[in-house]
Amino acid sequence: MNQSTELQAGDVGEEEMPSLDTALQTVVGWQGVRCVLPPDWNVAGFSMERESGYLRIDAPSDSSLTVQIRWTDAGAPDVKTPYHVLAKRVRKLLRRPEPKQAQIDLKANLDKFLKEIAKQSKKSKEKLDAHSKPERVEREDGKRRSINFSWSGAGKGQGKIWHCQVCNRVLVAQVVGMGKDQNAIAAIASRLFQSLEDHTEDGFDLWALYDLQVGIPDGFRLESQKLLSGYLHLAFQRGAERIVVDRWGLANITLKKFTVAEWFANHAQVNLRSLQKREETLANGHNITRFSGKLSVLSRLVAIRQARFSLRGVPTRFEGGVWHCPESNKIYSVQIWRQTRAEKIWEEVLSRCVCH
Amino acid sequence: MRVPLKWKLYTAVGRYLPFLKIKPPEVDRKAAMTLRPGRNSLLTWEAQESGKTLLKVPVNLQSGRVKKRLAQWMKVPNERTVELDEVGAYVWELCDGKHTVEQIVQLTAGAYKMNRREAEVSVTMFLQMLHERNFIGFYKRTAKKARKG
Repeated sequence: MNQSTELQAGDVGEEEMPSLDTALQTVVGWQGVRCVLPPDWNVAGFSMERESGYLRIDAPSDSSLTVQIRWTDAGAPDVKTPYHVLAKRVRKLLRRPEPKQAQIDLKANLDKFLKEIAKQSKKSKEKLDAHSKPERVEREDGKRRSINFSWSGAGKGQGKIWHCQVCNRVLVAQVVGMGKDQNAIAAIASRLFQSLEDHTEDGFDLWALYDLQVGIPDGFRLESQKLLSGYLHLAFQRGAERIVVDRWGLANITLKKFTVAEWFANHAQVNLRSLQKREETLANGHNITRFSGKLSVLSRLVAIRQARFSLRGVPTRFEGGVWHCPESNKIYSVQIWRQTRAEKIWEEVLSRCVCH
Repeated sequence: MRVPLKWKLYTAVGRYLPFLKIKPPEVDRKAAMTLRPGRNSLLTWEAQESGKTLLKVPVNLQSGRVKKRLAQWMKVPNERTVELDEVGAYVWELCDGKHTVEQIVQLTAGAYKMNRREAEVSVTMFLQMLHERNFIGFYKRTAKKARKG
């Protein structure tokens, strides 16, 4: 079942054309999907699932424009039976390739999507008028087939549906707004489609929202999140290995009472006393207080329990660090429970964490 | 400030008798951002060196003779204090009837380097809380009128 979160369901009033003169600034990354949008656009809704999910990004409060992105795994069966789960694991174990799929019918997928919009339009007693362009092959390697479409009914929308052969996802992205926003919709849509990606090239998924940007190895799956005003928490899991990224706002107030290390000691998920502490400097010039060392037997058992008793990738070491970014007035912390052989993961995650 | 009849009905009757289905008037989000929060004139406040602010809220002891006597006998203080943290104090200072909610959000986001959306959520929730306690009220007047007044 899709676990979804609506951050704020606010009414949006009349919109004006968003300022497109300034450089595109807001980077959004979620479940492997990433895009760049104008400043002050923020994630307003998302799903937790990677196989199929959605992402909604809203324009600033003075506009009613919104970007909706939906994706589904084209290889996933409609009904998941134990056979499908078992067969996939056996193939992986025997290193057999996945069976060849019939070519995805993009037009049928698009019709299904437009039918849903037609239903919504019918509710508001508006007739849906949809147009789509012929299917075309994108990119030099020809691994993406896409169809552009637009519609008008209860509002206006301009979008694109594509199937990517690399990640085997069918992705629908559209910019929706009110009838009078046609120019703004077109401008945002063209910029969105230029920057929109559905998979990563370097093996690290970009997770970016509310000015937080971090690259996490693509084998890790989002396990939990807390997106509060002034506090962001993202926890990822791969077997029993974990990565936890936290960000606290209003650092100037927090640091009147605590040092950065004290703050981390209060919020770290392991006991830091037995770990080696050292001060390092990050590439961006911030001083990071780093804790590393072997995990106690109890901590390993806790990690296994958190991974629902999966014995895959039982972590033996902990790496954790905290730093203060005065430029953004925030405190960042990264905690990693890793296997001994995954030595580079700390440096790799930290180098992809953008704080300002 | 003129209170709409629908709101008066809701506060007087509707919220106690939900089956009457008297709902509070819906406020458009854009319109809500143009409201100007103003402090209750009965409240006094004191800024502290730590950045916090102490609000002194008078306790209503005038309602009923028995209540007044009991309060005297129990030595109930005639005011209570509410402590606002640094950000709360900053927003409180801006609740002067001149700044709109939108301006307060922008100023807070700038002062504490918060994301626009984060600031909006925090500030609006805080203002809502102050309003529920009758510490502030919202003026709905245009900038022109505000300048004349």
